Amino acid sequence: MSGKDRIAVFPSRAAMTLMKARLKGAQKGHSLLKKKADALMLRFRQILAKIIETKMLMGDVMKEASFSLAEATYSAGDFSLGVLQNVDKAQTKVKSRKDNVAGVSLPIFECVSEGADTFMLTGLSRGGQQVAHCKELFGKAVTLLVELASLQTSFITLDEVIKITNRRVNAIEHVIIPRIERTISYITTELDEREREEFYRLKKIQEKKKKMRDENEAEKARLQALGQRKEARNLLDQDDPDLLF
Amino acid sequence: IWVALLLDKPKSTMDMLQLGDWTFNADNGYLEGLVRGFKAGILSEADYVNLEQCETLEDVKLHLQSTSYGSFLQNEPSPLNVSTVDDKLKELLVVEFEHMRNQAVQPLSQFLDFVTYSYMIDNIVLLISGTLHGRPASELIANCHPLGSFEQMESVCIATTPADLYNAVLIDTPLAPFFQECVSQQDLDEMNVELIRNTLYKAYLEAFYEFCQELGGRTAEVMGSLLQFEADRRAVIITINSFGTELSKDDRAKLYPRCGKLHPDGLARLARADEYESVRVASEAYGEYRPLFEGVGTNPGDKTLEDKFFEHEVALNKDAFLQQFQFGVFFAYIKLKEQEHRNIIWISECVAQRNRSKIKNYVPIF
Repeated sequence: MSGKDRIAVFPSRAAMTLMKARLKGAQKGHSLLKKKADALMLRFRQILAKIIETKMLMGDVMKEASFSLAEATYSAGDFSLGVLQNVDKAQTKVKSRKDNVAGVSLPIFECVSEGADTFMLTGLSRGGQQVAHCKELFGKAVTLLVELASLQTSFITLDEVIKITNRRVNAIEHVIIPRIERTISYITTELDEREREEFYRLKKIQEKKKKMRDENEAEKARLQALGQRKEARNLLDQDDPDLLF
Repeated sequence: IWVALLLDKPKSTMDMLQLGDWTFNADNGYLEGLVRGFKAGILSEADYVNLEQCETLEDVKLHLQSTSYGSFLQNEPSPLNVSTVDDKLKELLVVEFEHMRNQAVQPLSQFLDFVTYSYMIDNIVLLISGTLHGRPASELIANCHPLGSFEQMESVCIATTPADLYNAVLIDTPLAPFFQECVSQQDLDEMNVELIRNTLYKAYLEAFYEFCQELGGRTAEVMGSLLQFEADRRAVIITINSFGTELSKDDRAKLYPRCGKLHPDGLARLARADEYESVRVASEAYGEYRPLFEGVGTNPGDKTLEDKFFEHEVALNKDAFLQQFQFGVFFAYIKLKEQEHRNIIWISECVAQRNRSKIKNYVPIF
């Protein structure tokens, strides 16, 4: 970790209040981000479980679909070329919309089938039922594939966001908050020291004053003792009965 | 000895030996012998059992080597896949057929041409739909069935609009008469390509049937039964497959070939049918078709109607070989080879996809 650094600030009580506020802010931010990371993690695990399930299903569905293609080719002959030549517009389209999870927008793909079935009459004179069955199975496979695609994109997006969020949480926990705490403790120590200095200074001044007063008293006493009061009469010193106070 | 026996036989058996028999071998003897030789090489039940036991396509290739197929897959790079096997099988059949066609004289040559017209119809439909959607010509031609190739194939790709196609190009193809009979220029534009295909095929079947009846004799007999079954089968299947689609009953009735046993009553009833039951009732009225509808279901383990039709077709084709001195053997041989082709590909797909549940769904021939 990069040194025992703290924020460069002039240690004063105002700075202290500021730092305390910042610390509070950092702690709140940390707990909020942690909650976000937990929510995202939960969604992540759900998606992972679903992906595994869908992939297994996909294996079976594709196997069935290719087998049904073999069956259809057996009865109807090689209809694949005719189908390929006659394609013009897409019948099955994919629509995407955004889903919001704890502030992260995930794309969700949906399979939409529009338009009439141009291949309804394929295999009319032979193998029509097998061709229709084959069509059905491959349609299912396509829907499943679209689902799998949207799950995988969510997975990748979520993964990114979780990494970023965790990085931020760790940064706050291990860098920002210690730094602020160190700053606060530095300010505290500085303030304490200043107080102590202040205290010490006052004490010293008092001592000095006391010493000077003592010296003065000693001098006065000596001079009085010598009987020579060369000093002017101190108006304030006499006990004049005429003065009322 | 032949002549002596002939003169002694009573009149009823004279009918069995017809005049054509004496001259048949002069023109067609070599080819009939050839085709019977080819037929002997068709895979047997035992071969199919061996193929079923295979675990990978390499095993299949090994087993096929010990049959009449020999090492036709020898030069293919591994890993082998099913489409390569498919292509090679097709190539073999094309080579055999071309040889026979090249050696044939009239009327056998015209008969063999008729046999190729069904492939030509598929090719033309492919070319038309491809051209109208703007696909490159070389791709389209590469995908055509070689048995159905004809000289004007490239010119079909040059036409850009249906009008062009109809007036300039299709008129020159051998299928022109079929087009003229039933498909007009507007139809080319609007009709679904499947309808065009089926209309052409109907015209083809009826023309072929006429031709065989003109040839007369045993050919007419044998081919008659084969073509009638084909016509009836198409009518039934078209009816069943058109339930739930946008095909109207009138349009459907226009696709029924009229040379079958179901004409005219059965066809009329089929045209009115709305569901499977009515189709079944209409067809069971004809004795030969009743057993085909029994035991049909959609549960796993049941045969479908299509399977039953395939079986019946194989039986009829085998019967064609029982008579000598007629052209039906050629037609039957091609159809049996196609069925064998389908069987081999089916077994290979089951093996390649490791899904052996339905591996027995082929139709064994011998």
